[in-house]
Amino acid sequence: MKKDSQQIIEKLLSFIKAYNDSDDAFNQMALELFRFQFEHNMAYKKYAVARKKTPLTIKTWKDIPPIPIQAYKEVTLSSEPIEEAEAVFMTSGTTNKEKKGKNYHPTLSVWDASMVGPFRHFVLPHTQKTTIFVLSPAEEMNQNSSLSRYLTKAVEYCGTEQSQFFFNQDGLDMEGLVHSLQSIEQSSDPVLLMGATFSYVHFLDYCEERNLSFHLPKGSVIFDTGGLKGQAREISGDDFYAWITRSFGIDRMDCINMYGMTELSSQLYDQTIRKKQVEKATPPWVRTVILDPETLAPLPHGMVGVIAHYDLANWNSALAILTEDQGFYNENGLVLLGRIQGSEARGCSIAIDQLLQSQRK
Amino acid sequence: MQFNHFAVPDGIAFSSFEERIIEDHGATLSLRSPCLSSEDIVQLMQTIRENRQKIKDYRTDQLIQIIDAAIQKWLDPNYPLRQFAEKWVPIITGYDKNMVRLELKQFLRLFRKKELLRFIQQEFPSISVLDEFYPQSNGGWSRAYGPEFIFHIFSGNVPGLPIWSLVMGILLKSANFGKTPTGEPLMAILFAQSLREVNVDVANTLAILPWKGGNQELEAPLYQGSDTVIAYGSNETVEQIRKQIPSSTRFLHYGYKISFAMVGREALRQDLYRDTLRRLRDDMTIYDQQACLSPHLVFIEAGGNVSPRMLAQQLSSELQQYALIRTRAKLSPEESQAIRSLRNEYEFKAMTNPNVAVYQSEIGTEWTVIYHKDLSFQPSPLNRTIHVVQCEHLEESIPAILPFREYLQTVGIATHPTRLMHLSGILGEQGVTRICAIGSMNRSVPGWHHDGRFNLIDLVRWVDLEGSAEALAEQYDLDVE
Repeated sequence: MKKDSQQIIEKLLSFIKAYNDSDDAFNQMALELFRFQFEHNMAYKKYAVARKKTPLTIKTWKDIPPIPIQAYKEVTLSSEPIEEAEAVFMTSGTTNKEKKGKNYHPTLSVWDASMVGPFRHFVLPHTQKTTIFVLSPAEEMNQNSSLSRYLTKAVEYCGTEQSQFFFNQDGLDMEGLVHSLQSIEQSSDPVLLMGATFSYVHFLDYCEERNLSFHLPKGSVIFDTGGLKGQAREISGDDFYAWITRSFGIDRMDCINMYGMTELSSQLYDQTIRKKQVEKATPPWVRTVILDPETLAPLPHGMVGVIAHYDLANWNSALAILTEDQGFYNENGLVLLGRIQGSEARGCSIAIDQLLQSQRK
Repeated sequence: MQFNHFAVPDGIAFSSFEERIIEDHGATLSLRSPCLSSEDIVQLMQTIRENRQKIKDYRTDQLIQIIDAAIQKWLDPNYPLRQFAEKWVPIITGYDKNMVRLELKQFLRLFRKKELLRFIQQEFPSISVLDEFYPQSNGGWSRAYGPEFIFHIFSGNVPGLPIWSLVMGILLKSANFGKTPTGEPLMAILFAQSLREVNVDVANTLAILPWKGGNQELEAPLYQGSDTVIAYGSNETVEQIRKQIPSSTRFLHYGYKISFAMVGREALRQDLYRDTLRRLRDDMTIYDQQACLSPHLVFIEAGGNVSPRMLAQQLSSELQQYALIRTRAKLSPEESQAIRSLRNEYEFKAMTNPNVAVYQSEIGTEWTVIYHKDLSFQPSPLNRTIHVVQCEHLEESIPAILPFREYLQTVGIATHPTRLMHLSGILGEQGVTRICAIGSMNRSVPGWHHDGRFNLIDLVRWVDLEGSAEALAEQYDLDVE
């Protein structure tokens, strides 16, 4: 690994460890990281130069151009040779299976550090270890999934010996999970359930068919991620959590949603457990901004726009990424509104998405 | 300012109204429309159906005079309704003020007397065939009857377009019930007002109202009670409607279509390419490409004085300058995002592929030109966004359009006369229904075959009075020896 890389990793690790929310510190680290990426990451450099943004023209982190997430699909975004990467996390590639977004991680040390601190901070603020039941695949089942890595690390760092993965080669072991939940119901030890939002939907369907419901011990937490959009079935967030409450006896404020992206190296969380607020918050090394979708200029507080994340832990690819998600800030934090859907044509001219669909027929 | 956002026959009154407020720089327009019930719809249907009895015996040339008189009003810049439209249509649609002014003027001229005569002549042997039996050359007589009752479901992408549909209905002496779109809610109603100023009998056969599409209660009586339904809109909308219409009802629909342009190397000569550029610019800026007549893409042939890449670059300067004169409509986040996604995709492709280039407006998404050599049909998110695709020969582009056969409509073309005939033959075979000069893509001519079909003929019912009846009738004329 380059010396520069080693140095930046060291700095980042201590930044993350400090868990310090200072704007100055963030700004300084962001500018330094931008310089690093500008020098070593050719694709990002090209993108920045095309927007006349260079380390010389940039004075604050807000001037750093966020690179659209399509870049992870179309070009190689890496400051280190990709052949030597410790891990490559890939997007699921729902629209085009051949073209998956790839985030290369020369080492996972920063990613891991960035994951565990906020996980403890937002999900387990009151305890060091807890029993974790996982409804989604572990890392060994999917080396390229950042979520699998996340879940595996959560269990490794914070799980008790009773923790268990219920997703195996044959899919989610519903029966096993029911059995384990029933025995945990008998005890008074809280449990943390973790999984993709839709894993819960499948499990809840299964339970409903069999008239099963649970009363999980006090202090138990339901952790979900991924959301409900883009699935065959449309369920609203409110309906989902109401269903969780009915089936597990868990209050909405004991449910926590994590927002993560393959293209990032950090995660955002609901503040349900810390503050009884559903709005999202970031770790100190992440800033999320709302931009005007037409001009990409920052929008005033409270307005809905497209989301860009500045994530210092994303040291190898790009610290600033532009998503296709919409959101806004209220006084408590960030509210996510999901992906900006493809546009509907106004009249007889066909919308691009529909045309592509017809082509696939 | 309040505007009664409906056109209904005399004697119809509503008890309650709702308002849609439109504001712009201190000016306020309140669109006042009735809260409708299915009883209202049924009553309106019955009234215009009865009123139709009065115009049923109007001769077609009288109707043409009436339409022409209404249109003549619109050709006066001081006509209050025109001034109203020129002020508020741009505000509601977001289209540039001057563009709306110019395009409306041009569009309305399609309905003057001389254009209407040509329009009818295109489809019928004589205008009188709509009024009386007309002799057939093989003996016997024929007469064309229009529908008694047409339900029009308009779309809002192109201002004034509903007038086309209404004029057809009036020429055929039908009772016309129209549902206005929210995108451009004014023109159909303003035109009905102009007709009222000219002839109350005709105006009394029209009912034009807004409501949110998909309202079963309001639409069911219309689907059941119309003998013809004409719908503009998405394929999904059309399918929804089709399910609700009795199979005996005639259903015409104008769904999604796509158009593109082809520029041969002959049009890239040093002395001609500027003209080519301006024509392409016009095709992709009129109503911000929202009409299905506008191009998604232009195939440009290599080997001319100006290379396709150079043309793409020049087109971008042309668009940049034009953006200052005619501002593009403000987009929804979805529309902006669609343009940004496309730009991003190609910008990253361009990093590794020298045959790709993206030219784009600097701050917003006002205009975008994507240059590449990928000979597949790439749809555009529109709003002044176009693919410029380089090809060695225009014929090479044909395989790219094959998958879209059912959607193809207009091709704007610039090429040598002999090639024009040859290419037109191929394009026609592949499903294209209209071939025109680049620069004219958005301006269809009177009497065109909309989506490859007749306009009036598709709506009428023919009645043949055969020679045998005529001959037999002669026998009963005792005075003949």
